Amino acid sequence: MRVGVFICHCGNNIAGTVDVARAAEETAKLPHVVYSTHYMYTCSEPGQDEIKQAIKRENLDRVVVAACSPRMHELTFRRTVEKAGLNRYFFEMANIREHISWIGENKELNTNKAIEAVRMAVEKVIRDKPLHSTAFKINKRVLVIGAGVAGMQSALDCADGGLDVVLVEKSPAIGGMMARLDKTFPTIDCSICILGPKMVDVAQHEHISLHAYSEIEEIKGYVGNYQVKVRKKTPYVDWTKCTGCGECMEKCPTKNAYDRFNFGVAPTRAINIPFPQAIPKKATIDAQYCRQIQKGKCGVCAKVCRANAINFELPDQFVTEEVGAIIVASGYGLIDQELLPEYGGGRYPDVITGIQYERLLNASGPTSGHIQRPSDGTEPKSIVFVSCAGSRDKSIGIPYCSNFCCMYIAKQAILTKDHIPDSQSYVFYMDIRATGKGYDEFTRRAQEDYGAKYIRGRVSRIYPKGKKMIVQGADTLLGAKVEVEADLVVLATAATAAPGAAALAEKLHISYDTHGFYVESHPKLRPVETNTAGVYLAGAAQGPKDIPASVGQGSAAAAKVLALFSRDMLESDPAIARVNQNACVGCLKCVKTCPFQAIKEQELRGGEVVASVIETICAGCGVCTSTCPCGAIQLQHFTDNQLLAEVNSLCLS
Amino acid sequence: MNIEKLKEIVRTVLPSVDVVIGYKKGLDALHPVPCFVTSPDEIDALVLNPACTHNLAAYLPSLKKKTAVVVKGCESRTVVQLVQEGLIKRENVVVIGVPCQGVLSARKVLNAINHQPVVEAAFENDAVIVKTRKAETRLALNDVASDKCLTCQYPTPVLSDHLAGEQVESKVDEQAAYQDIRQFDAQSLEERRAYWLKEFDRCIRCYACRNACPMCVCRESCIAETRDPHWMSQKATLNEKMMFHMIHAIHLAGRCTECGECERACPMGIPVAKLKKKINMEMKELFGYEPGISIDDKPPMYTFKVEEEKIEEHKIR
Amino acid sequence: MSVVEGKELRIVGFLCNWCSYGGADTAGVSRFKQPTDLRIIRVPCSGRVDPLFVVKALINGADGVLVSGCHPRDCHYSDGNYYARRRLEMLKRFLPFVGIDARRFHYTWVSASEGQRWQQTVTEFTTLIHELGPTPAFPQDQTVLKEVRA
Repeated sequence: MRVGVFICHCGNNIAGTVDVARAAEETAKLPHVVYSTHYMYTCSEPGQDEIKQAIKRENLDRVVVAACSPRMHELTFRRTVEKAGLNRYFFEMANIREHISWIGENKELNTNKAIEAVRMAVEKVIRDKPLHSTAFKINKRVLVIGAGVAGMQSALDCADGGLDVVLVEKSPAIGGMMARLDKTFPTIDCSICILGPKMVDVAQHEHISLHAYSEIEEIKGYVGNYQVKVRKKTPYVDWTKCTGCGECMEKCPTKNAYDRFNFGVAPTRAINIPFPQAIPKKATIDAQYCRQIQKGKCGVCAKVCRANAINFELPDQFVTEEVGAIIVASGYGLIDQELLPEYGGGRYPDVITGIQYERLLNASGPTSGHIQRPSDGTEPKSIVFVSCAGSRDKSIGIPYCSNFCCMYIAKQAILTKDHIPDSQSYVFYMDIRATGKGYDEFTRRAQEDYGAKYIRGRVSRIYPKGKKMIVQGADTLLGAKVEVEADLVVLATAATAAPGAAALAEKLHISYDTHGFYVESHPKLRPVETNTAGVYLAGAAQGPKDIPASVGQGSAAAAKVLALFSRDMLESDPAIARVNQNACVGCLKCVKTCPFQAIKEQELRGGEVVASVIETICAGCGVCTSTCPCGAIQLQHFTDNQLLAEVNSLCLS
Repeated sequence: MNIEKLKEIVRTVLPSVDVVIGYKKGLDALHPVPCFVTSPDEIDALVLNPACTHNLAAYLPSLKKKTAVVVKGCESRTVVQLVQEGLIKRENVVVIGVPCQGVLSARKVLNAINHQPVVEAAFENDAVIVKTRKAETRLALNDVASDKCLTCQYPTPVLSDHLAGEQVESKVDEQAAYQDIRQFDAQSLEERRAYWLKEFDRCIRCYACRNACPMCVCRESCIAETRDPHWMSQKATLNEKMMFHMIHAIHLAGRCTECGECERACPMGIPVAKLKKKINMEMKELFGYEPGISIDDKPPMYTFKVEEEKIEEHKIR
Repeated sequence: MSVVEGKELRIVGFLCNWCSYGGADTAGVSRFKQPTDLRIIRVPCSGRVDPLFVVKALINGADGVLVSGCHPRDCHYSDGNYYARRRLEMLKRFLPFVGIDARRFHYTWVSASEGQRWQQTVTEFTTLIHELGPTPAFPQDQTVLKEVRA
């Protein structure tokens, strides 16, 4: 065996705390190593060329690169060795950056550790077997989960690119959060005016099939071939018959149903169409409030419906969609006001949230765009905006910034002045985060042209006094306590992961961070990919973000899918389980434990039963290998012998 | 243990199977050997007494025939476990159960009679009378029974198509089933370590324990001997000996039916069954599972629960 | 670092590629300083970790073994860590029976985003192993064996 070792300086990232020259010198003495060198940036073009030349010059048949994490550059170097004529699996990486140079301060210990890391990699690489991918067909349909602005953008871009799109939205209508906004910053465009046409495009596109009021029940399969079971929740209305005339809504006697679309700003009916521009424009019964469903008495909607669409017995329905890729654009949620007891915890009607205020401002909202105090319907003259209501607050477990609040507060202050010229807005803020294009100018306009008074400091307490709300806080620039008498208080409540985000992640086998936001494959270089092949992210599901960023990610995710689907066949990862049928005793314990049902029973000609791996289904986890008592099923590239060699290289020596 | 009843059952069962596995007299009265009955004239050779110790269920996985097998309580668990794991088919086995009051440890008996050649042995309810050329010794069954019998919970077979004898209740209450293990656990870590070093040191790596084990189904693929995978060398060092016993014990996690064959087969008298019993105790505590009780169970190492009631996350200290 | 510099002990870590290996990467990217004793073996899934690897390491001179996978419910391969949990729990309860200190073997769950949790885990575990000291070796040469036999 002729192993070449290439130790990377990574500039000073590695060489700063690892003696790379000594590491190269020592590793050159290892068995099977015939060449060991160190290089400034092994991943650079000249660095990769050096590997290719050394393979030819030194007649290497195995390569070890000691550099950064294999999660970063394993693929890069596999391609390099492949270009030099080696099987791409005749390559191992020793992670001497993330696991050594960046975490240890003692150069000598780091260097020893790096040498051992290389020794382990050498022990593994000499046991690498050549592996070859097989090609399999892809199903060129894409599933988009969530029909907010990010998901719609993904769906439209994919559909315009000729792909069939399945769009699943859990609410009765598409549009997401953006459909609820009045105007958008920093242009003061009418939100629904720019979103509405996109919604219509989605509804009418020949390549998009929409499942509204539906959720993902189960996902099986792998990149290129997913089977997705979709639960179509029952609206108790036959949507094939419903014409969206709205008569049922007018006649429904239950007038106190919670209005999910309007975030409870005003009550709605038990049967309703969420908003005038709703797509699909179909009625849905909220079972929790429906008298017929709860008490078996009423049925008024069924009587007035001329289309005969009401069906109280309609069950949830299931459809299975087959797709090749999935874009997750499931959006975000908002914290409950109850988490903010110092701000009233939702007990005072005149302390509302930013999104509720958005509905008050909106011409199609419950107050037809007239700003009214929820308590008495009067027009507020003094309005206090509280930014970071929950955001950047470790004490409630939200250390992060919600990204868009600073901007929408400035927008709402401007709009307030437009609506009520004799009003005064106050904004309590921690910092003004206005880094986007035209954003800083916008927040300045709110202050300079619209007279909003910005007070740098946190609000400590809000309490009622007569008809007013007293907002107590600090002005940290003046170093003084401040008290403002307000008619209305608007809290910029923190953005959170969408309700159910974790459960969806578990179905998708993607990871999420401690706050429930989905984790991208690389924070800089793979921002819309996940670590699960074929699953992509768009919008605020990955972290709070504003409309332009969400739309950008929606398009980016679509581009990724279009690129994936530009080929007819995909290459499978050959690092999967393989059965040595001579050693297999046919106990089939592997069949029981395989998480993917990728192992089947096979009868040999002599009648013996053995295990057999279905290559396209095996995902390469290796649970079977550690189940098999006789080592007959081995996960390629992570075989028992390879892991044992690593253990032995660490322990026996 | 009723030999006449057993013979009667074998006579009725024999026409419907290819072979009946029972016991016949061996080189002396303390060592009966397995007996494969294929014709009625062989039935009279059958014997049945507390010296009949082999776990005959161990033959089942390799026999491709319809087989009737004589089993005591612990050995019936082997049958159940083999069926549960799909290693044998229930319909290919006729289980002839024998309620059991405990079997002899030949080693204990021979120690008691100073290893004199045995001429004859007679069995009573709770005693064995051993005749040598020089003397006749009466030994209480309890004193010379196999260790496994002292805490046996299943003296009556848990599964049988025919039962040769009356049901027997366990003499040990459930709490005491693992008393020997708990006692051992009560020692200090150093004491336990020293104990096993001394025991494993005697191991000659003959693999008799493995070969006798009815649940060791890997045969020539056993990873103690293969090169691919190459788990261990053939050196007779203490670490390799220990590794072998750890492999055996861990491969039996949730599968060992406590028949004690490993220990009986060991020529060096190493108490290897203890290792498996410890794991069984933990399996019972963790998953409420005992191997070889119900055909429909799933061995706990090959399944899981999303929420494990008994497994708490460990703190480092 | 609280752990004695210059006198390393042998700690072997088995880390699943998708969560814990990523968590260790995250810790590195964040420059979270850690003791240097740990050597990491990358496996696709904690379900790939045969408890016998842990035994092999401990018998052959490892002073500590750490296994880390995705949190329950988050396994990249859906169920791998559930199997790992059962197998490793069995092992942890079994080891002291043969005289191996169960504290020398720890299994836990660290996600790819939990760099800090990884740093804590490594630091705490390494500190503990240093407190326990080197694992007593299994005598292989005849002179030591005589003591055992005595």
